[in-house]
Amino acid sequence: MIPAAPSAFRGFGRLTLDVRQDLPAWKQAAFVGLSLVFGLAISVAILAAAGIPPLTLGNELAGVLTAESLRGVLVQAAPLILVGLGASLAFRIGFWNLGIEGQMIFGGIFAAAISIYDVGPQATRLLLMGSAAALGGALWVLLVLFLKNRFRVNEIIATLLLNYVAMYFLFHLLYGAWQDAKTAFPQSSPFRPFERLRDIGYGINSGLLIAIAGVLAAGWLIHLSRIGFYTRFISANPRMAKIVGVPVQTATIWIIAASGACSGLAGFVNVASQEGRLTQSFSNGYVFSGVLIAFLSRNDPIVIAVVGFLIAVLFIAGQTLQVFYQIPFTMVQMIEAIIVMAVASSEFMIRHRIRWLR
Amino acid sequence: MASALQLVGIRKSFDGALALDGASFESQAGEVHALLGENGAGKSSLMNVAAGLYAPDAGSISIAGAPIALSGPAAARQHGIGMVHQHFKLVKPFTVAENVLLANPQPHFASGIRNIRAAIEKQVGELKFSVDPDRRIDTMTVAEQQQVEIVKVLVGGVKILILDEPTAVLTDAEAVGLLEIVQRLARSGTAVVLVTHKLQDVKRFADAVTIMRGGKTVATLDPRRSSAEELTELTVGRTLPLPERTPHQGGPTKLNVGALCYTRGDGRTMLNNTSFHVRAGEIYGIAGVSGNGQAELAEALIGAIEPTSGEIWLDGRGDISRANQAKRREAAIASIPADRYAYALAGSLPISDNLAVAQIRGGRYGGVIKLDRAAMRRDASAAVRDYDVQGVRSINQKASLLSGGNAQKLVIAREFSREPEVVVAHSPSRGLDVRACAAVHQRLIAAREQGAAIVLISEDLDEVLSLSDRIGVMSRGAIVGEFECPADRQAIGRAMVDHG
Repeated sequence: MIPAAPSAFRGFGRLTLDVRQDLPAWKQAAFVGLSLVFGLAISVAILAAAGIPPLTLGNELAGVLTAESLRGVLVQAAPLILVGLGASLAFRIGFWNLGIEGQMIFGGIFAAAISIYDVGPQATRLLLMGSAAALGGALWVLLVLFLKNRFRVNEIIATLLLNYVAMYFLFHLLYGAWQDAKTAFPQSSPFRPFERLRDIGYGINSGLLIAIAGVLAAGWLIHLSRIGFYTRFISANPRMAKIVGVPVQTATIWIIAASGACSGLAGFVNVASQEGRLTQSFSNGYVFSGVLIAFLSRNDPIVIAVVGFLIAVLFIAGQTLQVFYQIPFTMVQMIEAIIVMAVASSEFMIRHRIRWLR
Repeated sequence: MASALQLVGIRKSFDGALALDGASFESQAGEVHALLGENGAGKSSLMNVAAGLYAPDAGSISIAGAPIALSGPAAARQHGIGMVHQHFKLVKPFTVAENVLLANPQPHFASGIRNIRAAIEKQVGELKFSVDPDRRIDTMTVAEQQQVEIVKVLVGGVKILILDEPTAVLTDAEAVGLLEIVQRLARSGTAVVLVTHKLQDVKRFADAVTIMRGGKTVATLDPRRSSAEELTELTVGRTLPLPERTPHQGGPTKLNVGALCYTRGDGRTMLNNTSFHVRAGEIYGIAGVSGNGQAELAEALIGAIEPTSGEIWLDGRGDISRANQAKRREAAIASIPADRYAYALAGSLPISDNLAVAQIRGGRYGGVIKLDRAAMRRDASAAVRDYDVQGVRSINQKASLLSGGNAQKLVIAREFSREPEVVVAHSPSRGLDVRACAAVHQRLIAAREQGAAIVLISEDLDEVLSLSDRIGVMSRGAIVGEFECPADRQAIGRAMVDHG
């Protein structure tokens, strides 16, 4: 037999790391769940340090589920679900789309353009605005795919930096040609009533319908369609995929376009339901939320609907905390970040096994 | 005198998969001891245990007769064990001296680097290397980087030097130069372990050889007193049974490869005017010492790389060397690559998906809107049964859970699900047991009977000799000789090594 560990460590054994071959789904879920609990525990501790006792926190979270707050949650959930879909579709083929905000902005701009230039009849106006928004988001991300294929520009950097380009282009419009003449604020004139996403009863905004339609469409695309089948091979082994005849290029273009379209629709939902006009900040912070939701739901469209709703609860609860306890909004973003990191680290535990050897 | 390095009964498993099964190994100071075996036989794993990288599950290690425990590579280094890995461990933007310093820490940087530089120059002088201590690694060729790796271990005062497949990345001339130096090193008292799968290197440079197979050490003998056949048989186990077949009917030319050239990203020319043709109903074997462009030829044929120039002409299809994959698939080229998990399977996906993927585009499993999962499952179950794929608990299980031979059967089941016009097989029986190997060969012969043109690229000369109708010998990226079968083994062997 092998002699014990070297003298300095005798009695302690040593830590070894193995690569796992396989792990049952329920164990994987357990690891993700544990990490989530761990992340939430840290968040609660930080909030406690900021002066919000855990018990109060619980009450505030419960308060979110009252009818009035729930309405806000559902309004907030729609764009969150859409950006979650946008992020996850691209992530599914290993394309790190961090340009969700830029795509939202172009979605918003394209939708607003339809309103400002009064395109098409009133009856189909919303449909046209939505389609334009999807197109705007898709074009903005396809630009990055082009840069990546043609010049080998890393898409993480390109998508991230194009967010700023999109933002300054938006400012250019809002401080220039599209500025609201009445108020002279840097925002567009308000949309006309038939250009706004209205409530459909029970206090539910029609933006949520767009999100649900997005979830169903993405679920179909990933789980049932031919392209969805291709995506699994593109992410598992792109070289092999190409050799066995998967149209890697075509499938990539469609998935990336769909990713941008979802983000563009999120922009449309935000300008057409919450704001009712193009503003400076309708896309702020959504990259982060999109990545978080995609991560937590492991890029599954159906799970995204649930996680998007939960993050919306976090957002609305965060707003309450902001108002009543004077904590900054960055605190909510920090909690998001902690949760992302916790879940990301669960991936390591799923892939590796740590053992003590004595 | 006790052995310089002795490993006894080493066992090591990785998450349940047994890589080393009671392997033993012994090497003496002053000799080059080769460790021979096929890919996956456990050579590298065993040496990684000796170098302190892997902690064995059981077994003992002793140096000069004294049992030791290795807590890591640093401990191994202290015991005078140094290993040069197949993939170099050098910091590319650093100079030679800085890299050597990193591996041999000194108390102070300024004086340390002076000492290191002196030590490097001493070693370089002794070995007659051409290594300048102040050059940056990223400006050096692969052969020079390897010299740095060797100097790096030697500066640390190594008594047992392990070289893992050192000639795999070198040209023939570089390889001979390196092995001569290694031999000199051994003569001056170092125990050298040469991990390799090249029989020629063993015959020519080793003083002793230990053969591994399936995680076990099967024999240790004197390579000069044993024949190549004997060594081969020990390495691969039983020799392959010769399959029966009908004599070749010369059909029309089906595939013509004309003046194919390919230059790799790092500037090395891997294919240099490769030309040959294959007739319908013919197996064209390509023999050669590994690393002479066979891998690139296979990749160009299956469309994994685009050749720099030249053409791959296919009867009725024209030049497909730059065609997209849709056109290639239409041409029904079946590809059986050497590295199954890199080129033919997505290990993390289910068996049924891996079987279906090639025919999704053709519409066999439903349209763009909805895939017919039931049909996929049905076909997968049938294929698993027909091709006798073992170890399938469910067709939904990951393909990576299959053993090498069964993974290969899976690939073949998919590639032969349509009657192929052209088959490109690269080392199709690598890592397979005798039974699986025979099954693969039968499939190739069946395809030949059906009139397919088959290109069989293999480093295993026996495989090429037993299956081919004609044999082309590949050396430095070109076909340097062609032989009609039955061919003279010696003549082919000479063509493989004499050229250039």
